[in-house]
Amino acid sequence: MEKAVQVIQITKELSGRWIIPILLSLDKSGGRFTPLKNILQISPSRLSSNLKTMTEAGLIQHLSPFERNHPLLPEYELTEKGLFMKEAAYVISNTEHQLSQGFLAAKAWNWPVLLALYCQYHEFNAIRQLLQTVTPRILSRRLGELWEKGLVEKTLITDPTPKYTYALNDDVKPIIRSAMSDLSALL
Amino acid sequence: MYKPGFTLWYNVSDLERTMEFYTEQLGFEKYSFDKENGMGSVHTNTKDCYIGFSEAEKIIPSTAAAVMEVENIDAAVKKLTEKGIVFNGDVSIIPGYVKLITFKDPDGHDLELSQTL
Repeated sequence: MEKAVQVIQITKELSGRWIIPILLSLDKSGGRFTPLKNILQISPSRLSSNLKTMTEAGLIQHLSPFERNHPLLPEYELTEKGLFMKEAAYVISNTEHQLSQGFLAAKAWNWPVLLALYCQYHEFNAIRQLLQTVTPRILSRRLGELWEKGLVEKTLITDPTPKYTYALNDDVKPIIRSAMSDLSALL
Repeated sequence: MYKPGFTLWYNVSDLERTMEFYTEQLGFEKYSFDKENGMGSVHTNTKDCYIGFSEAEKIIPSTAAAVMEVENIDAAVKKLTEKGIVFNGDVSIIPGYVKLITFKDPDGHDLELSQTL
């Protein structure tokens, strides 16, 4: 279970509109700002702000003009943690391709919720407890959205008190199992 | 050991603006331009001598001046002023040696005109 919690934490860290695209595109851009901006079709200020956040999170290293021997050399490089997270980003990206429901990791908590359900956390409060910092409002919204996408099914239990329980859809379960296994293997 | 060829490389904040400066204002010939990758270069008036540019997020202006030889510095200053180049002060003279005047490119990289006396 400890490994599952670690994997959930990794997917939580990889949540966001730009973090996975940046991790997966940095090498292709030669680590340079302009090619990266053009590959991602992102505004310069937004890219700067995301790179700053990722630098602070220890995923990338910003090389100052004094540290580069040539203007064409990388401005940003993946750190050891960044290289590890890039592998995890690949797993998430490939899994999302199989799920065909868009870029789920762009929204915070989508992946932690899917993994919590895979780990047999079926009740709202149990999921909330596992994910710790998620607010009830966001958790409720994410479960609703995942249900609307057909990734999650919900069942109304009436005894002893009426409440919903949640589970991965049967088609989704093997895909998430495979992702969980691949992400665990990285640890 | 060396073969003919000399290239200066600068980081620049806006490749298109820089290319315009070096071609239209300074009059050098465009040699390459890759907007997608933020890379470009110009061929100076000297054979095998190029200036390359790479767009970057953060620029530190170079204080190592790239010095360009001119036949008549006063005529060159007049012509380049008409093209919008702003010079730093007046022409300096090192008697018996050289006449100099400096200016900057759009990112503040130091450039200089020189007339050998």
